[in-house]
Amino acid sequence: MSSEWIPSLVHFFGMMLLVASFGIIAAPQIMASVRAYAVHSFLLAVITVLVALAGHVEHLLISAALTVVLKTVVIPRVFSKMIHRLGVRREVESYANVPFLLLISVLLLFVSFYVTSGLRGLEPVFSKEFVSIAIFTVFFGMLVMISVKKAMTQVLGLLLIENGLFLLGITMTFGMPLLVELGISFDVLVAVFIMGIFMLKIRGAFEGIDIDDLTELKG
Amino acid sequence: MTIGYLLAIPVVSAFCCLASGTKAFVRFFFVAGAVLLAAAGEYFVFTRAGQGNLFAFGGNLFMDPLGALFAALIVALGLLSAVYAGGYLFEEGPSAIPLRKLRRYGFFFHLFLFTMLLTVFANNLGIMWISIEGTTLASAFLVNIDDKKSSVEAAWKYLILCSVGIALALFGIILVYYSAALGVSGGGNYLLNWTFLAGRAKELNPQVMRLAFVFILVGYGTKAGLAPFHSWLPDAHSQAPSPVSALLSGVLLSCATLGILRFHILTKAATESPFSGHLLIFFGVLSVAVAVPFILDQKDYKRLFAYSSVEHMGLVAAGLGFGGAWGLYGALLHVVNHAFGKSLLFFCSGHLLHQFGTKEIGKIRGILKVNPLLGGAFFAGIMAITGMPPFNIFVSKFFILCGGFAGGHFFACGILLFLLVFIFAGFLRHACNMVFGIPEKTVRAERNRVMDGVLLAGVFFLVLLGVWVPGPLHRLILGAVSVAGGTTG
Repeated sequence: MSSEWIPSLVHFFGMMLLVASFGIIAAPQIMASVRAYAVHSFLLAVITVLVALAGHVEHLLISAALTVVLKTVVIPRVFSKMIHRLGVRREVESYANVPFLLLISVLLLFVSFYVTSGLRGLEPVFSKEFVSIAIFTVFFGMLVMISVKKAMTQVLGLLLIENGLFLLGITMTFGMPLLVELGISFDVLVAVFIMGIFMLKIRGAFEGIDIDDLTELKG
Repeated sequence: MTIGYLLAIPVVSAFCCLASGTKAFVRFFFVAGAVLLAAAGEYFVFTRAGQGNLFAFGGNLFMDPLGALFAALIVALGLLSAVYAGGYLFEEGPSAIPLRKLRRYGFFFHLFLFTMLLTVFANNLGIMWISIEGTTLASAFLVNIDDKKSSVEAAWKYLILCSVGIALALFGIILVYYSAALGVSGGGNYLLNWTFLAGRAKELNPQVMRLAFVFILVGYGTKAGLAPFHSWLPDAHSQAPSPVSALLSGVLLSCATLGILRFHILTKAATESPFSGHLLIFFGVLSVAVAVPFILDQKDYKRLFAYSSVEHMGLVAAGLGFGGAWGLYGALLHVVNHAFGKSLLFFCSGHLLHQFGTKEIGKIRGILKVNPLLGGAFFAGIMAITGMPPFNIFVSKFFILCGGFAGGHFFACGILLFLLVFIFAGFLRHACNMVFGIPEKTVRAERNRVMDGVLLAGVFFLVLLGVWVPGPLHRLILGAVSVAGGTTG
């Protein structure tokens, strides 16, 4: 692969990343959302590899490998196990309908590009569009967290925010030091396991994992 | 002895608790681990604190006076809390907690201490982030011990809200790293090390540092319980078992505040403007203001103490924002004082819950008649936490306000004084109703000498620190003030 191809390829995968994001919110079932997240993470890993090749930053390859193993294999596995144990195969219940959420997502995308275009002093090492895409992914993760009623999708939203930050890290600075990246990945993995255990506890205490039911504590 | 050995103690204790076969063994490792950690920690901190920065693990961990102060606090509170929990959770009888849960509890308790120590010893800002996220993960299980609806809900909110908050802080750290990678020559692997950045702060891009500080303040502010990001705090503090509430309120919030302080020092030096200080003052005063209505009209005494933590973290943030020798000394002393005062109140709440069987303020009358020792300790704790002399918090509040007036922040100080009057009135009303009067019904009056001893120790510290700050602690705080003021780095 010659190096001139890399920027256009990265842009192509960046667009695919956006499509995968929309897939998460448009998916009819939770498992489909999880698959869309796996695709999202895989594309993230591909972009990481391309950035690593373009910038000759070898330690990013390790981060990419870790992303593939952790976020496209292990975490979706954990999710599908959880879905089986919790017995939630039903449709995703949102507070708003899918077209409306997609409209908001597009709006968020515009906002992300708008706010980053005005920033002075931010000259990323790789490509300016990716700062916008990364910030969009963070916003989008928050949208996923607040728009869907299941506890599981809150975790998915959190993971999306983390993906967005990872993308920001690799495109702005060629990634954080490897030690820090490893630590963050470890934290994410542990967080997913612990949140999984708590989802079982919520199911045990509330007979469901709808966030609407969590209204015991006030004042 | 090095930082590594100190950090190994809680990890070993954690796994010993997990591997124990009987309740007696869990209890032994649980308490003995905390005693050992406290003895080793205090010895280490006070012998090495004056001798400059101490590095470990290739410069990723270090101990400066600022970190040393917080470490001393963590191990001391860990000891009090573990001793109290040794009586509180290992009770026999119909409501005894099963062995399986106690093992898990001991494991996560010591892991929680480990992650907090790692936070204050972290030099690499990325590692600091990882360990702050670690504190959330380790303590989520401690918040939920009985699997009731309310405690599961509190733990879930705690996990999700703090994780999102911390994710925003990571955004800030990426910006700092970017600013360092771009502006600072040399460095390589040290680019995220706080000592390195503090020495070269002038070379950091001021615009990016401002942006980064906003994200850090929101992110770590969530964890520190600053309003308006505090909504997880009253839930988690009221649902956790009392010894855990004491740790959460006393030191966890302060650890996150240390995270903010580290970035505040960098931002102040890089931008050469009071930008970050003003933000801290704003959110500090806002936190005190938000706490007022919830303190005045509160029905649950553990939530009352939780909102009081929001107030005190607000005061600390305001003190750090005021800056100057008075403001910084006051804020750091306030961290110490609040830790002892609030932990005493939460230990009292453990006694109250045990003896009266309710968390409602309105259902408790005449503590002084039922249990004079508890009533006295509780009232002393309330007086201390509202800032009455001769107790310690009066001194640090006074210093913080002095710092504010000395720095010319008359408006902010005026609002703070005004709000503190309301908080005092609210606390006094609740406390008088609870402490005095005639108890409504007969209550359980079992005694546990060790747990009563923890209360007495708490009162002792409150009065001691109120009239005299011991020499080593004074020197430690002065060292920390000089780090925070940017005179050494």
